[in-house]
Order: sequence, then C-alpha cells, then structure tokens
Amino acid sequence: MAARIWPLVKLATKVTIAGGAVYVACDSGLLGSSEQGSEALEKAKAAVPPALQDWMKYFGLEAQLPTMPKIEFSPVNSWNAGVRWTISSLSEAPTRASEYTNQGLQYVKDLIK
Amino acid sequence: MSEKELGKKWDRCLADGVTKLGTGLGLGIVFSVLFFKRRTWPITLFSGAGLGMAYANCQNDLRSHYLLHRSEKEQ
Repeated sequence: MAARIWPLVKLATKVTIAGGAVYVACDSGLLGSSEQGSEALEKAKAAVPPALQDWMKYFGLEAQLPTMPKIEFSPVNSWNAGVRWTISSLSEAPTRASEYTNQGLQYVKDLIK
Repeated sequence: MSEKELGKKWDRCLADGVTKLGTGLGLGIVFSVLFFKRRTWPITLFSGAGLGMAYANCQNDLRSHYLLHRSEKEQ
C-alpha cells in the first residue's frame, strides 16, 4: 500500500514546490511590467541589509563586521564616464595625431639641420 | 520624448531584463531539478522566456509614447 502511494506523494511534493515557486514569482511582480519589476528590485535591495544583520547575529559573527561599509561605487556612473572618455578621445584623435606628426617632423628637421 | 524620459525608460528596460532573466533562471533550475532529471533545456527555455518577456515589456514601454491611449481617444 505504501509502495503505491509513495510515488504519488513524491509527485505531489514536487508539484507543490514548483507551484509555490511560480506563485511567489508571479505574486511579487517579478513577471509583470517594468515598473513592478523595478519595485521588486528596490524591495529586495532594501531587505538585504537587515537580513544580512540577522544572519550574522545568528552565526555570532556580529563582532567581526560591525557595519557594512557604504560602497560609493556606481556602475552607471562608471559606465557613463567611460563612454564619455572614449567618445571625447575619438573626437580629439585626428587633431592630436596631426599635432604629434608635426612635432615629429619638426624634431626630424631639427636633427637634420 | 525628452532625453531624460528616454534614459529612464532604458534604465527600467535593463533592470527589468536582469530581473526577468534571473527569475527565469531560478524557475528553470527548480523545474529542471524537480521534473526533468537535471537536464539543461528547461533552464535555457525559462531564461529565454524571461528575456522575451523583458523584450516585450521594453518594446511596449518605448512605443507607448507614440501611441494614442484610450483616455485621450474619449475626447
């Protein structure tokens, strides 16, 4: 009797877990419009530090890391700065190249003299 | 569409894409482990579906500025 029910129980557990995962994903707005997605991201970002604090307390590591250092690194700003630097150097490249060639030619002329 | 608005839309698109890719990946892993004997194809399928949803959202968002919406039609 148990041998016949066990596969059913396994299947039911698997379906429950998978269904629960899908429900959580849909309910938290992860699969909705862009605004809902960004809202969910903000909520997750806000919920991470308290969760980390609780975990550290649980493991007794609280004394080692008193506060998370505020990282002032913004990938958006770095990317934008990189793009601006690339484009500006590309636009200045011809002028600079002609300057350097002129300087080089002048140097060679001076050497010949 | 002003440049600021456009920039915000693109930011939302990227964030949405990352979110949906991650969700698809997670759900794909769950389904692959539970039902499909840890094969790879459910993971790729669900991740692809997530990316597709993000693409469609982005498309709608960027087009919405140029479409006539129902509230304006009633006038």
